[in-house]
Amino acid sequence: MDILNQLLHGFATAGTPINLLWALLGCIIGTAVGVLPGIGPATAVAMLLPITLKVEPTASMIFFAGIYYGAMYGGSTTSILLNTPGESGSMVTAMEGNKMAKNGRAGAALATAAIGSFVAGTIATVVVTFCSPLVANYAVKLGPPEYFMLMLLAFTTVSAVLGQSTLRGLTALAIGLALGLVGIDQISGVTRFTGGVPELMDGVEVVLIAVGLFAVGEALYNVLYEGKSVETQNRMSRVHMSRSDWKRSWPAWIRATLIGIPFGTIPAGGSEIPTFLSYATEKKLSKHKEEFGTTGAIEGVAGPEAANNAAITATLMPLLTLGIPTSNTTAILLGAFQNYGIQPGPQLFETNGPLVWALIASLYIGNVMLLVLNLPLVGLWVKLLKVPKAPLYAGILIFATVGVYGMRQSAFDLVLLYAIGLLGVAMRRFDFPTAPVVVGMILGPLAEAQMRNALSIGEGHWTIFLQRPMSLTLLVIVVSVLVLPRLVRWLKPQHEPDAVVRA
Amino acid sequence: MKATQAALGVGTLLAGIGFVWGAFQLSSDAGYAGVGPNFLPLVVGAMLCVCGAWLVWEATSGGFRNMEEPSGDATGHWKGFAWVSAGILANAALITTIGFILSCTLCFVLAVRGFKVAEGESGIRPQALALDVLVGLAISAPVFWMFTQLLSIGLPGLTSTGWL
Repeated sequence: MDILNQLLHGFATAGTPINLLWALLGCIIGTAVGVLPGIGPATAVAMLLPITLKVEPTASMIFFAGIYYGAMYGGSTTSILLNTPGESGSMVTAMEGNKMAKNGRAGAALATAAIGSFVAGTIATVVVTFCSPLVANYAVKLGPPEYFMLMLLAFTTVSAVLGQSTLRGLTALAIGLALGLVGIDQISGVTRFTGGVPELMDGVEVVLIAVGLFAVGEALYNVLYEGKSVETQNRMSRVHMSRSDWKRSWPAWIRATLIGIPFGTIPAGGSEIPTFLSYATEKKLSKHKEEFGTTGAIEGVAGPEAANNAAITATLMPLLTLGIPTSNTTAILLGAFQNYGIQPGPQLFETNGPLVWALIASLYIGNVMLLVLNLPLVGLWVKLLKVPKAPLYAGILIFATVGVYGMRQSAFDLVLLYAIGLLGVAMRRFDFPTAPVVVGMILGPLAEAQMRNALSIGEGHWTIFLQRPMSLTLLVIVVSVLVLPRLVRWLKPQHEPDAVVRA
Repeated sequence: MKATQAALGVGTLLAGIGFVWGAFQLSSDAGYAGVGPNFLPLVVGAMLCVCGAWLVWEATSGGFRNMEEPSGDATGHWKGFAWVSAGILANAALITTIGFILSCTLCFVLAVRGFKVAEGESGIRPQALALDVLVGLAISAPVFWMFTQLLSIGLPGLTSTGWL
């Protein structure tokens, strides 16, 4: 079979000692940033983007993918052992995982999280392997109008559907789009919104925005508001799962994988919805309902963790086949591709086949590495939780400087970094989502180009978007995604806040 | 809280007005496409204006809707914040003159100071300060060498040797 053949070639490329080393390094750094509070995969990849200036694309994409994956494994350790949940994707894990840890079952919770992540990640990688070429084949037929509509759908779901408030999501999206507009217009060559500052001619670097919002913003927020917050840590126990743990975990892993994959593939990224859905499913189906929320149910950790990893892996599909990022980290991975002059999209499998297949092969390898890194060695990672806050955040600032300065060698960017950091503090304090900023900034210029190309095809008429069946269908989906939830809420006045979780 | 919310809305609104104004200065030459390089800026500017006005309305009519309680203290610890800010800005100002390693170490020391102040520590012990300097050097120097020696990506040094 053609796909298997190419995958084998991918394994041959990813299996060279130097690439294995990159994958291992990525997995280690990824697990570390996942465990450490205050820094996530998006920030870590952004800080390391300067290496795209020197390292060849295959190696660096394998490296970045390792970080992306590793952070998911590491994140569960923090959410189970610390009493403060980390990022949103592992919030659900924290609910049951914490309860289990308090009852001396931290080891079992960590084990089911790691093995569940492995199972889900591997199944999702198989799906990515076999479905991506099919999607790419189909996507080749899409023209600019359809692409624009797909991007519009991504904007809508990232900003208006996920998160607490449509208004704050849209504001964040507008900020991202505005930042993306700075610089020279790709089509006409007109300079926009540089204010005469020569440094801004090339636009604002995505590194700067991501590192500013996440790393600097997080550090500033922490010093401002959380100086006195003390984190308490749960006791570790032996990493071991009993026979009944296995019996209760594996159906949860499989169900969660099936829930997670579709959510990753549609341009409605974010792993919050699938993790919540999986949690609700497990709670409903469990024979041990009394353990949920009391002593901690292992299904409640196994499911959401697997759903998280399945969704995260599946987000690579829209990224690789359509060039549409649906999360912070995939948006930055897209930026990494762009640094090499590679535009992910349906042609990617043809133009950069060896790179893509090596990347996919490295996902299989990375999953195995991470299982080893996280099960027997989990005790080492737990030690990272002991790093005091002051040097941790101050150290993050050094890495932020490397990432931003290394990209463009401009001290001006460091001042801008501080300004974006302040924006990050305000956004965090007032519950504005950050993903729309990063996705809007990266995807905005691409969407604009598609829109203008589409209008050229339509000889300047907007009706082009209505005349083509696929584009019309997508438009209807965009509108219904925006309108339907509101309609439902309006028709059902006795709306319970947790109905979303149960739906 | 409400006043800050309104201020954020006003800020967004002003940014939107600025964007719309800037968009009108741009060429509207559309070529074959129906819209020129000023079209998206106009849309985004309008979007910022609408969002800004709406945020102001929400802030003045009971506060932002569906807001998750922010974590941490109710009031900010501005003294610690000032130390960390000073660290970042000093780094921006000095990196090209005193080099990456020294500048980042300074940033590290100032930032650690800020976090310790925020945690309620007062007074500076010389030993602790010396330790901070050492840790700062121990982080920034290897990072610098990795970039300049291993990846040959230019970071500014005090000397041009690539070691300091």
